[in-house]
Amino acid sequence: MFDIINFLISWLPIFGIYAILALCLNMEVGYAGMANFGLVAFYGIGAFVAGYVSMTVFLSFYGYNYPIYSPEAIIAVGNVSGKTPWLNLAVFLLSLILAFIIAGASGYLVSYPTLRVGPAFLGITILSFGEMLRVFMKHFTPTGGAYGILGIPHPFAWIPDPLLKNVSFLILTLAILAGTFIYFESLANSPYGRLLKSIREDEVASLCMGKPVPHVKAELLFVASGISGIAGALYAFYLGTVTPDMFITAVTFEVWSMVILGGKGNNWGALFGASIFSLLTRATSILNFQFPDLPIDPNYARWMITGALIVIILIYRPKGILSEKTVKTEAWRIFGEYAETKKKMTAAALKVLGYLKKVLYWLIGKEAG
Amino acid sequence: MDPLLKVQNVSKRFGGVEALKDVTLDVRRGSVTGLIGPNGSGKSTLFNIISGFYKPDSGSVYFEGNRIDGLNPNEIYNMGISRTFQNPRLFNSLTTLENMMLSPKSQKGESILKAPFKKAWLDEEVQIASEVKRVLKEFSMDDIYKTPVSDLSGGHIKMVETSKGILGRAKLILLDEPTAGVHYAVGRRLFQYINYLRKTYNLTFFIIEHRIDLLFDFVDYVYVLHMGRVLSKGTPEEVASDPEVIKAYIGGA
Repeated sequence: MFDIINFLISWLPIFGIYAILALCLNMEVGYAGMANFGLVAFYGIGAFVAGYVSMTVFLSFYGYNYPIYSPEAIIAVGNVSGKTPWLNLAVFLLSLILAFIIAGASGYLVSYPTLRVGPAFLGITILSFGEMLRVFMKHFTPTGGAYGILGIPHPFAWIPDPLLKNVSFLILTLAILAGTFIYFESLANSPYGRLLKSIREDEVASLCMGKPVPHVKAELLFVASGISGIAGALYAFYLGTVTPDMFITAVTFEVWSMVILGGKGNNWGALFGASIFSLLTRATSILNFQFPDLPIDPNYARWMITGALIVIILIYRPKGILSEKTVKTEAWRIFGEYAETKKKMTAAALKVLGYLKKVLYWLIGKEAG
Repeated sequence: MDPLLKVQNVSKRFGGVEALKDVTLDVRRGSVTGLIGPNGSGKSTLFNIISGFYKPDSGSVYFEGNRIDGLNPNEIYNMGISRTFQNPRLFNSLTTLENMMLSPKSQKGESILKAPFKKAWLDEEVQIASEVKRVLKEFSMDDIYKTPVSDLSGGHIKMVETSKGILGRAKLILLDEPTAGVHYAVGRRLFQYINYLRKTYNLTFFIIEHRIDLLFDFVDYVYVLHMGRVLSKGTPEEVASDPEVIKAYIGGA
């Protein structure tokens, strides 16, 4: 029988991580019109920072003197990782903070020379930065070269029950996703969201209205790259392993597909796109496992399905499944808009409550009878 | 009286083309000043220099006594110079309301740090929205507030573009061919509207226009550019009777 709990545990963390990435990309592409083709670079930086920091801290805390990529180090950290819960959590928190700062700063630095020119230059610069960084990391020994960092201590390694351990991590990931979503949604429905959209529509006109366009773009890149770095750190802790080849350009385009499918300029759309594509990934790997003799390997069929989905979406719903909404601020209330929608929503909510009440009474009645 | 805008000996060269040669002109406070000239005479280049898109090769530009050449376009807007483009540049997929809400400079809610805290910008937002509503009502455009700008008529687009200067508290508005592509009657109404704005909001206008018949009914002072030089200047009557101007316009380059 299909095991729903284990399925959720295997799907939701990946969904959470990809959804954070999709939200970041949506802010950059959907709102500010910055073609970030190198999202994976900041995601990878976050993952490597997390791996490096946690291994280094653990090794030095317990007084070992091995290089972090050596088998001795992996075994040593594996032996001590469950002994000090506070250290696990502290290292986890520190890694997230450092991942944010370092990924954000590199996003800012990489894009700095191209912020004054059009989106294509920015996209190509970051794309090549990501590829170059991956190749560089493959040959960079302090982080293990092509083998990467293994045996990263799980933040909940001290919980003996594996189910509880995974659920705790899952809840933490979803909490970070929720925080990111609320933060971006509040940015989107504020004068800042309007400013970003104006940059997307016409950079020159925005500049002519006194908006410091290069400055705004740099700030947004810092924040979005930093949060992508947090997603990378979560991924490193989830897998316990980071290698340079996990961060190929295809990851960036997978996140792009999520944003395009869900709807550019709509945060709900980014969540929706992330859930569809991460489900697809899970589904194909389950298929692969259960039906090993299919004529096409489902893992590769996934890319075909992705391509077909994008083509279908672009033909039938060019704006994505959930299309962009106007920036909702109090300004609409001045024009009498907001009040109307609020009234409608209250009426709808009351109706739903009414139904719930009926169902509840019916249940109670049945139980009583 | 000290002029609001002072352009002094400005020259600009693009490769082998001398777009502007030693151009000097003044725009008086509270005036509607016209800038005419055949195509390629350097009018738009001059606007681009005033609004900060180009740096002049030599010469200087003063606004209210402060030197502004070399500043960025956003800094110049914040000093009080608003401009429009030959082809309207509004934010097409945004609604009229959102377009107009973007005009006021340095809004609190436009900072990435303050935006998530609604309390920090709510009052300002409501106040700007009320002003947008008043301005739209003043020009009987209050029915178009939720129309995306891409769906507006040409006349409305020009009106919205011009009104944005008021919300941005501009002192000088540069209009690049405000009546291009609109019907004569609409163009006339637009100029009446410009005249009204000047009086009510104490604005100064500097206008590039090809429809001289329309322009001359409304401007106080006219400069004629030809081959990057100021060919003639004066009141519309003086310019219209200047034989040099007639030669440049009718006799060709």
